[in-house]
Amino acid sequence: MSQGPRNRAGGSARPGEVADAEQEFDAYFRARRDAVRRTAYLLCGDWHRADDHAQAAFVALHRHWRRIRDRAALDAWMRRTLVRTVVDETRRPWRRERAADTFPEGVAEGPADGPADAIATRHVLVDGLRAVPPRQRAVLVLRFLEGLDVAATAEVLECSAGTVKSQTAHGLAALRAALGDSLEDLRPAG
Amino acid sequence: MQEHGEADEARIAALFRDAASGAPPPGFDATQVVATSRRITRRRRSAVAGAALAVLAVVGVGVAAGLGGPSDKTVATASGQAADSAASGPGAGSEGAARAAAPEAAGGSGAGPALAAPAPGSSPVAPIGTPLGPGTGECADRQDPALRALVEQTLPEVAGAPEAATTLECRPGGERGVALEVGGGVLTITYLPPGAVTEPPDGARTAPTASGGTVVVASRADRAGDAAPLADRLEPAVAYLAPRL
Repeated sequence: MSQGPRNRAGGSARPGEVADAEQEFDAYFRARRDAVRRTAYLLCGDWHRADDHAQAAFVALHRHWRRIRDRAALDAWMRRTLVRTVVDETRRPWRRERAADTFPEGVAEGPADGPADAIATRHVLVDGLRAVPPRQRAVLVLRFLEGLDVAATAEVLECSAGTVKSQTAHGLAALRAALGDSLEDLRPAG
Repeated sequence: MQEHGEADEARIAALFRDAASGAPPPGFDATQVVATSRRITRRRRSAVAGAALAVLAVVGVGVAAGLGGPSDKTVATASGQAADSAASGPGAGSEGAARAAAPEAAGGSGAGPALAAPAPGSSPVAPIGTPLGPGTGECADRQDPALRALVEQTLPEVAGAPEAATTLECRPGGERGVALEVGGGVLTITYLPPGAVTEPPDGARTAPTASGGTVVVASRADRAGDAAPLADRLEPAVAYLAPRL
């Protein structure tokens, strides 16, 4: 089982400690909410569900907050919780995702070049990510949105560095296959 | 593996950042998070307290029956209650405890027909009464205390296991769920009401339930390649839960 940030020793907290902990949580929440929402969005492809996943992760964090000792591990714990929540959701009986065999309709209709296509470009990538298997998608999001290196990504996903490398390659290949020539910047550099 | 250089990675990262921009206003704030967290904590404490009371009731009745001795009257009463349970549905918790405990105290000869096969572990086996059936809330309870109580009867080792993170998405209220962090992974138990379409995850065990719904029990390991926790317990668990749901 994944280990969260290390817990503080047990015992009842004094009222002052409780207030301090709540303030600390509030500060962390305000600092990280937008980033967590963005990550959740690329993981699931829908802002409403992203908010749902992000909120669930913060709720889980708050429930553990006063027992947390290693605050340096917070971000990794949140990322792990978020990925697990999203991946588990795709495995639930009522919402299982499949890697798409065919390209999403209306996506591969040519390159998006102009500034007016900026919003469309966003949707192209998000739609393409939906065609990537969830674990590979998580690797891509952690590496390219969050900017984590291989080791940090492996720590979040609790897998080996080799797995991260291979899933990065497979994930990019799946994304490129899904997008075709829609996004020039996604083509391998010649 | 296809190599991609730093320039490649920078371009891809820029694409990802752009794709994640343009977020709508957030749909939740810290106040909502804290309120939800506290509500879950209160509910969990209530469920734990209820489970503790039920165990105390079982132990208490068992001790009382043991002190009273295995008289013919005790056996007859226990058997009668057990028989009644099959016909009259769910009794009060203490009645259920009496039905489960009294035959054992009487030497096991009077066990009622409704008692299920013993679950692994030492927890008392609850009788099968009226199935739990669909939830009644507006949204499905992702950490349903009633379902969790049943799960802990058949998998006593998960008692006290921390709840795994779940989404707050409002699912149809008839569904029930439990997701627990257990050694090395996550155990999920889902009840789907009659008519719900089921496509269980790989390795999951499913069974139709007494209320006409479906129970799905699944576990997965945190690390790819590791054995899923409690994998050998899923089958008996689903067999235990199906007649009670």
